[in-house]
Amino acid sequence: MVAGAWFCLLAPLAGALAITLAGERISRRQAGLVSTLTTFAAFGGALVAFVAMWAREGAEREQLSTAYTWLAAGDFEVGLQILVDPLSAVMMLVVSGVGGLIVWYSLGYMAGDDEERRYFAYMSLFVFSMLLLVEAGNLLLLLVGWGLVGLASYLLIGFWHHRPEAVAAAKKAFVMNAIGDATFALGLVLLVWQARTLELPAVLEEADGLSGTIVTLVALGLLGGALAKSAQLPLHTWLPDAMEGPTPVSALIHAATMVTAGVYLLVRAHPIFEAAPDVQHLAAGLGAATLLLAGLVALVQWDIKRVIAYSTMSQIGYMFLAAGIGAYGFAIFHLVTHAFFKALLFLAAGVVIHHLAGEQDIRRMGGLRAALPRTHVAFLVGTAALVGLPPLAGFWSKDAILASALASGGALGWTLFSAGLLGALLTGAYAFRLYYAVFRGPPAEVTPEPHGPEAAHEPAHGEGPLSMLVPVGALTVLSTLGGLLSVPGVWHPFTHWVSETAEALVEPSTGEDYLTSLAAVTLGLAGLWLARRAFVSGRQLVTSPGAWRALEHKLYFDELYDALFYRPAAALAGALRREVEEPVVERSLDELGAGTLELGGGVARVQSGLLRTYALAVALAVFVLVLVFVAVR
Amino acid sequence: MSGPGIGWYLIVAALLFGTGALGVMLRRSPLIVLLSLELMLNAANLTLIAFARQHGSLDGQVFALAVMAVAAAEVAIGLGLIVAMARRGLPLDVDQASSLRG
Repeated sequence: MVAGAWFCLLAPLAGALAITLAGERISRRQAGLVSTLTTFAAFGGALVAFVAMWAREGAEREQLSTAYTWLAAGDFEVGLQILVDPLSAVMMLVVSGVGGLIVWYSLGYMAGDDEERRYFAYMSLFVFSMLLLVEAGNLLLLLVGWGLVGLASYLLIGFWHHRPEAVAAAKKAFVMNAIGDATFALGLVLLVWQARTLELPAVLEEADGLSGTIVTLVALGLLGGALAKSAQLPLHTWLPDAMEGPTPVSALIHAATMVTAGVYLLVRAHPIFEAAPDVQHLAAGLGAATLLLAGLVALVQWDIKRVIAYSTMSQIGYMFLAAGIGAYGFAIFHLVTHAFFKALLFLAAGVVIHHLAGEQDIRRMGGLRAALPRTHVAFLVGTAALVGLPPLAGFWSKDAILASALASGGALGWTLFSAGLLGALLTGAYAFRLYYAVFRGPPAEVTPEPHGPEAAHEPAHGEGPLSMLVPVGALTVLSTLGGLLSVPGVWHPFTHWVSETAEALVEPSTGEDYLTSLAAVTLGLAGLWLARRAFVSGRQLVTSPGAWRALEHKLYFDELYDALFYRPAAALAGALRREVEEPVVERSLDELGAGTLELGGGVARVQSGLLRTYALAVALAVFVLVLVFVAVR
Repeated sequence: MSGPGIGWYLIVAALLFGTGALGVMLRRSPLIVLLSLELMLNAANLTLIAFARQHGSLDGQVFALAVMAVAAAEVAIGLGLIVAMARRGLPLDVDQASSLRG
């Protein structure tokens, strides 16, 4: 079991190193193959670990394996160790499985790019980092993985570094994530101080013994990290811009795996959050707020990838909501199904972009159903799964979350439930708006000139090579069937599996489940109907110009942060430069230099080269010294 | 211990030293400067030997020998330089030889 997990962790690292060290000795295609094969090898390792775990029972399924002690300070030790338990096994399977499919897809998608080797090395690095994050056996190692996925995300968002927008987006993602990383690290410092360990099962058991203030601060710190990584309010502004990266990167990092790391953290560290219920409820509230906000903004976006990015934020909002009310199994379940259907949507969108030679604006798309029949089916399945139409994956997982919110009751439960239902309506509207705009209606003219960020790709590929079609097909199947792992009233193998690591706090009854499903599906279909009506009549979903403008500006969050943080900081820096740096620091240094030069010029005049002057000076000096000695005595 | 007292020796040495110092400071010919330097060194030697005799110790005399060795070396180099200057047709005047450039 442990061997499989170690293999799973190290295979992508080996791939990244091999591609980096081989350099130009292997062809670009071979680099892609190395990356794909090592990622699938990692999936094999994860499967081995999973099957071995399946055969065991209860506490036997959880195992901590230490390779060596990395840091030791007194009785505080941090090792290079991995924790293999049901939760990390699920994450390993998702990360390496979906990751493998997406890297494979990249073989076709990135063909012809100038720097494929760099791309695949980064992708392998990302898969390794993400596996390190989910397998980490202590919170410090988790933070290492947390930082490394941020780095890989930065590198891949800015992959097309000749585009200023891509570089700016990469920087923005890095800075926003750095805020979260900092609060995360501060939380860990508090834990080291108070709990005296970071080892994973142990530190969580300590959570109850900590004082209320400390545990609240620790939970806030971890929540800050989770909010930044998962692009939730108020640290969400980086994710839409991150769409500047290649589409498979958006699928892997900014939809399926990295952005859900925050949910994983909430579930993994659930005892800490349970000891600080206010923070946990805050997480649920922020999730609900994000899912509404992202759903609203998605209604007016024109960029195909940005719409999907906002839907990702919205769906992660559902996961935060679930983790916040203690429905951990359903949070992870939605994470998994979301990884399937959101990766599918991105990859299908990638086929569309590929076909249109880099076009991303849905106003210039339309009627692609005829040209891309298979992609059309895949995209439709992904959209329906996103909206939560039965029997697709999203239906089972999202409705279970809403039912849990209903079951948790109270004012909070009802608020979250209503927000989630409203979110279902919004999801139906924006998802089908996108579908109709891209695939229905009269065929749009294919732009003759390649343009946009992905312009490197040659136009009119049809549906692309086999390496693109097969992963899309596999994800279509997974998005269709993935939800059957947990059917209310019938069986719950998935949630039972996860509950061994994180016991759920709420358990919806079967009645609540079906009631919720009825409401959510009705609202989802209502959203579909709205989108269809708007499409047929040629109007937009948001008709009020004021609301449109506000949503187009993403509710002014960027402008707000600009005014709140950037401008004051820039003004302060400018003032310091003008008032302190220039007059005090620079001037004093200039004066020092000029003074030294002047002094040197004066002293140099003494060195005349006249021997007799020197002799006179020596004689006079001796005379003075003699006088001094005599006088002192 | 016979002969003049230590004071006389010191007076002679002081006079010799003063003569040498004045020669170094006032004369411009490098040859004379070198000779004046020798005078100053020998004035020092004289005081060393005088004190050595007064104290009945050989230390001062040994030290005087060392000074002579140094003086001989210095004269060898100094004269060599002066000869080299003369050969290259440079003016034999310390005031004009004020820069290290050739």
